[in-house]
Amino acid sequence: MRTKRFTPRAIFSLRKPKSPTPLCMVVLPGRVGLASSVAAATPVKFGLRLVRVCVCAVLWVATAASSLGQDTPDYFRQNCMSCHTIGGGRLTGPDLKDVTKRKDREWLTKFLLNPRGVIDSGDPYAKKLFEEARNVPMPTPPGITADRAAKLLDLIEAESKLETSQFKGAQVSTEPFTDQDRAKGRAIYLGTQRLGAGGTACISCHSMCDVPALGGGLLGPDLTNVYERLKGRAPLSAWLVAPGTETMQPIFKNHPLSSEEINSLVAYFESTTAQPPADSSGGQVTFLLSGLAGAVFGVFFLDSLWRRRFYSVRRTLVEANTGRGRS
Amino acid sequence: MNIRSQVSMVFHLDKCIGCHTCSIACKNVWTDRKGAEYMWWNNVETKPGTGYPTKWEDQDQYHGGWEKKGDRPINIRSTGKARVVPNIFHNPYMPSMDDYYEPWTYDYQNLFNAKEGADQPIAKPISMITGEDIKVEAGPNWDDDLGGSPIYAANDPNLEGLTEEQRLQLSSVERLVFFYLPRICNHCLNPCCVASCPSGALYKRGEDGIVLIDQKRCRAWRSCVAACPYKKTYFNWFTGKSEKCILCYPRLETGQAPACFHSCVGRIRYLGVLLYDADRIEEVANLPDDQLVEGQRSLILNPFDPEIIRKAQSAGIPDGVIESAQRSPVYKFVMEWKLALPPHIEYRTLPMLFYVPPMSPVMADVNGDLANHAMDGLFHSIDAARVPMQYLANLLGAGNEGAVRYALGKQLAVRWHRRAETVGDIDRATADRYLREANCTIEEADEIYRLTSLCTFEDRFVIPPMYREQAIEMIREPHEQKAETGFGFVGGPRRGL
Ligand code: SF4
Ligand code: SF4
Repeated sequence: MRTKRFTPRAIFSLRKPKSPTPLCMVVLPGRVGLASSVAAATPVKFGLRLVRVCVCAVLWVATAASSLGQDTPDYFRQNCMSCHTIGGGRLTGPDLKDVTKRKDREWLTKFLLNPRGVIDSGDPYAKKLFEEARNVPMPTPPGITADRAAKLLDLIEAESKLETSQFKGAQVSTEPFTDQDRAKGRAIYLGTQRLGAGGTACISCHSMCDVPALGGGLLGPDLTNVYERLKGRAPLSAWLVAPGTETMQPIFKNHPLSSEEINSLVAYFESTTAQPPADSSGGQVTFLLSGLAGAVFGVFFLDSLWRRRFYSVRRTLVEANTGRGRS
Repeated sequence: MNIRSQVSMVFHLDKCIGCHTCSIACKNVWTDRKGAEYMWWNNVETKPGTGYPTKWEDQDQYHGGWEKKGDRPINIRSTGKARVVPNIFHNPYMPSMDDYYEPWTYDYQNLFNAKEGADQPIAKPISMITGEDIKVEAGPNWDDDLGGSPIYAANDPNLEGLTEEQRLQLSSVERLVFFYLPRICNHCLNPCCVASCPSGALYKRGEDGIVLIDQKRCRAWRSCVAACPYKKTYFNWFTGKSEKCILCYPRLETGQAPACFHSCVGRIRYLGVLLYDADRIEEVANLPDDQLVEGQRSLILNPFDPEIIRKAQSAGIPDGVIESAQRSPVYKFVMEWKLALPPHIEYRTLPMLFYVPPMSPVMADVNGDLANHAMDGLFHSIDAARVPMQYLANLLGAGNEGAVRYALGKQLAVRWHRRAETVGDIDRATADRYLREANCTIEEADEIYRLTSLCTFEDRFVIPPMYREQAIEMIREPHEQKAETGFGFVGGPRRGL
């Protein structure tokens, strides 16, 4: 209780640290002892406990808040660079160099806070952008606020003035893809080859035209035509450097893909572009049926494993010695 | 050496009259509650018989206790890390309600409320669990006094190793025999129930060795039910917690004998403290079967030895407890006279309840219509007793006759001696010869006689001072405890965390 170490455990421990007497391990409180020791804490003690809880809560909130205060360039790198460059040309989204000159800040802020909403409102400029991006809408940037939007625009403005911005975008190689790249990409997609940084295999969330058996996951969109949708090699590669959707970002933020892995994946995605996308309905039926089969198997398996569960020593004994069944 | 003290017990089977008073005393004090109706923390069995739950001694069915395979250290037989998961929804070694019995009462209200009719109303048996009508087929002492013996007594696991002839004799009318075996939790030194609990809810109190289940920690795994080879932990289906004999610790702490001891009509029960060496428990529990009885005795320390007293004091055992250990009747029966033996020590839990094996009537000579019971003058030799030695050895000697023979021989010698003293129709020389053969002096024989036949309440129950005020010090401030005990909410055990 009067411990000096300021750890959550020390703060929250309800009782005195146990005395080191070895007997103490053996002598646990009986029912009465335990009940009364908890219930009968004095008011003074309760007050102390309350103070400790409050201090703790304040500390926690403080740390949580500071974790939000990451600086704007980092934010841009993690959330925007998958679709945009500053002075590096168009990816999925437009090049942001001098964007503040093309449109006024008020509009830009509104768009940043809710891209989908602005597009859907029928705003002509937003519509044009949407079409230019081949109908890939801009996802709402995670954790965006008016304040953050203003900071982002400041950053873009400042970077636009530079000769070469730090956000010019990655240099994507132009060497043609080999069969080896495609095979490796497929292995990464299927998860048979692990990702170097420990990211999740694509198949967990995405389906694909040529995936066997149960098909890919249904959380994300089908990837068969992704190469075409995201406008080719450079934008797709850039997307994979830091996937920007709210679902993918937390997964890959700490487990980024290496440039080699990206190259292989893009090679694979390119090879499937012309195919019709996977028909997910077949996968669902297989999934349902195999689930049912598994359940039936499980029932019989457990039934045989626990076949003795209705066994009774006494009844067996009596029946064996009287030859008379129970009524 | 790690000296501890243990409240231990002796049951003198030669004196038990099978009245079940002990069971009723316990039931009234502790288990007359919902969910506990079927529990008999104390029960009295007829031997030969299959007991309660049916055939509890048959570990091929119940897998209780520790098992020793080859040279490897002993292991719990019913559970283990690998067996918890596959058995998580169903433990195949758990006794079922049917193995105990379905508790019932009678529909007495019907006697008052029945509609007027041509017949007298009756009180039908109804289940105490479902409230439905039941057909009573079993009870906790269904085979009492050899009831249903072709089914029950004939299947007693202790008959193993007996010849066909011996088995037949046990049930032939002229020669049949039975005795009673009252049973409570043995508060073992190496309790399998404690070792098996995944929640750590069971514990053995360091200062007196009483084994208890913390009702707040129990998570209804029921591992202890399967693990205890004596089947002395029970699952309360209403509270969702396991329960067991608590050796009436609230009574002991206030200087009273446990309820079953206090009420025992035959005065067969003795209670006293023993000092033992906790460091050697593991070594002894791993001994081969035929050395277990001796091994357990070697754990128990002589409370008169100045060296032991000094070590006990430095181990924190209060002087009052040491002094109580010196007066302990259990120490006399187990260590000085070697009359009392542990039940089924081959389960390796090292039970701390010891039984004095019963004498039984002489085997009759059937000669035409006449049965002749007299042999060898007044008393018979122990080998001619109706209960075969092998049977008692299976029960009390891990299959070895030696220790049982010694205990019976000494009891017989005491009888010869006392007969010579009080009646005088036996000459002194014969009595002395029997005493010599039984390794017993006249003083010892007199002492055995007094503690067996003339024992007072204080002789039988030497209850050590429990020093709860010192034990509580390890958990909280004693003055706080004193001032606050009884305040706050005391909730009963109930399902959930
Ligand atoms: S008799 Fe059973 S319940 Fe009692 S201590 Fe021994 S193993 Fe545990
Ligand atoms: S009360 Fe005593 S004499 Fe009666 S059955 Fe119980 S142990 Fe035996």
